[in-house]
Amino acid sequence: MAGKNSDVESIDFEQALTELEKIVKELEAGSLSLEKSLELFERGVKLARLCKEKLAVAELKVSKLIKEKEGVFAEEPFKAED
Amino acid sequence: MAAVPANKIYTVYQINKMVDDRLRSEFSDIWVVGEVSNFKAYPSGHLYFALKDERSQIPAVCFREAAQRLKFQLKDGDLIIGHGRVEVYVPNGRYQLILDTIEPKGLGALQRAFEELKRKLEREGLFKPERKRPLPKLPQTIGIITSPAGAAIHDMLRTLQLHRAHLKVLIYPVQVQGEGAAEQIAQAIWEMNTLENVELLIVGRGGGSWEDLWPFNEEVVARAIASSRVPVVTGIGHEVDWTIADFVADVRAATPTAAATLVARGWEEFEKRLDDLWVEMKQRVQEFIFDQERSVDVLIKHRGFENVSRRLSEARYQTELLAEMLNRALNQKVNLGYQKLNSVVERLNRQNPVARVMHWRVLLETFSSRLEKGFINAKNKIDARLTKAAASLDALSPLAQLARGYAICQKPDGSVVVSVDNIRLGDEVVVRIVDGSLDCQVKDIMKGVNGGG
Repeated sequence: MAGKNSDVESIDFEQALTELEKIVKELEAGSLSLEKSLELFERGVKLARLCKEKLAVAELKVSKLIKEKEGVFAEEPFKAED
Repeated sequence: MAAVPANKIYTVYQINKMVDDRLRSEFSDIWVVGEVSNFKAYPSGHLYFALKDERSQIPAVCFREAAQRLKFQLKDGDLIIGHGRVEVYVPNGRYQLILDTIEPKGLGALQRAFEELKRKLEREGLFKPERKRPLPKLPQTIGIITSPAGAAIHDMLRTLQLHRAHLKVLIYPVQVQGEGAAEQIAQAIWEMNTLENVELLIVGRGGGSWEDLWPFNEEVVARAIASSRVPVVTGIGHEVDWTIADFVADVRAATPTAAATLVARGWEEFEKRLDDLWVEMKQRVQEFIFDQERSVDVLIKHRGFENVSRRLSEARYQTELLAEMLNRALNQKVNLGYQKLNSVVERLNRQNPVARVMHWRVLLETFSSRLEKGFINAKNKIDARLTKAAASLDALSPLAQLARGYAICQKPDGSVVVSVDNIRLGDEVVVRIVDGSLDCQVKDIMKGVNGGG
């Protein structure tokens, strides 16, 4: 199948969010040094920004599967049949 | 055409009316058993459906007054016992059952098949909650198995779009009702499972009759769903429709739109959570920094710190003092050093013959300059005295006497004639008066004429 996850590149949205949640929790605990908390904050900003950028470009793509032979499919842009 | 008496010819209406009268009198109080099919509840509250058995069917109506008294939700596949009458709907000549009482009577054939399959699969454990897999929160590729025509696919795509699902949709077009539909749906489920990036499947169909939804009650579809590698979400018919496929699915959504909403929800929540975390994180860091600042403030105001602060400024003062002292001492030392050095150099210079000459020269110059100054002074003094003397001299000058009419008599050599004894007859003399002089020759000499005389 063509374009296997290639449009998603390296970022895993769920992992990014999990890490971001962890960062916020650590910041909430407030037992960090100023340096450490700023370091975490910087990391968090980077993650959030990356996700946002990814989301901004991602949109719904719709294709119809066409069976060429057993187990082999082609895709074509979906247009609803009336 | 044979001659027919006019009174034997009926209008269409008359026939329908006569049949209606006949049926009403003969079938005014009858009981009937049959399976409900093609059930439709109208907004007016009337229920329309067909009653059928293996060989035949008849249109049936339950008007609102009777429908409101029903003790159960009538639906396709229900086997019922009804009471009512038969009549003709005169405008179109169709006859129908008008039921005033309906009671459930066991299960219809389809209902029976449904119940049997449901029991069988349930025994196999296919409906168990622990079999249900959670849907991936943020699926990036999903498969939709449905009819490419019809409202369901439109509803699902629009819903995904609406909820900002950032994903790729692969549509496997299938027939969703009628002969062979169940096999196509099962095939689609199997084949979509071979596409490795598909993360979940939606099996969907819009609303329809009990028979229309029947493919989703067939075992082949149930088995395909149960064996699916990826989670399956069903969205079949309306809220009230439960199919076998719904029981086997990992998640049953009430409608195709609801299924799409469930799938998109993760994305929507993700975006919202991301925004929330962003705001929260910024707040936390701001608070954190604020806290730090405050605790520094508290420390500064603390007495212990004040002590330290005071001691610090004292120490600074002392340091400055020390530095100043050191500086001064150093300067003194340096000055002393310089002085010492200078005297040594001087003494050394004095031993140096060149320096000695220089020394004397300097001295000489000093003296000569002093001498010069002294001289000038002396000269000035003398000048002053001279000028003064000249002035007093002026006052005593004989010339001043001349103005009063006196004259001075001089010999040609300039000597002043003060006595007639110095003059002989015939001598030439010059007589000076105030404004000039007269050259004269002595004509006579008379002694003692003036002062002595």
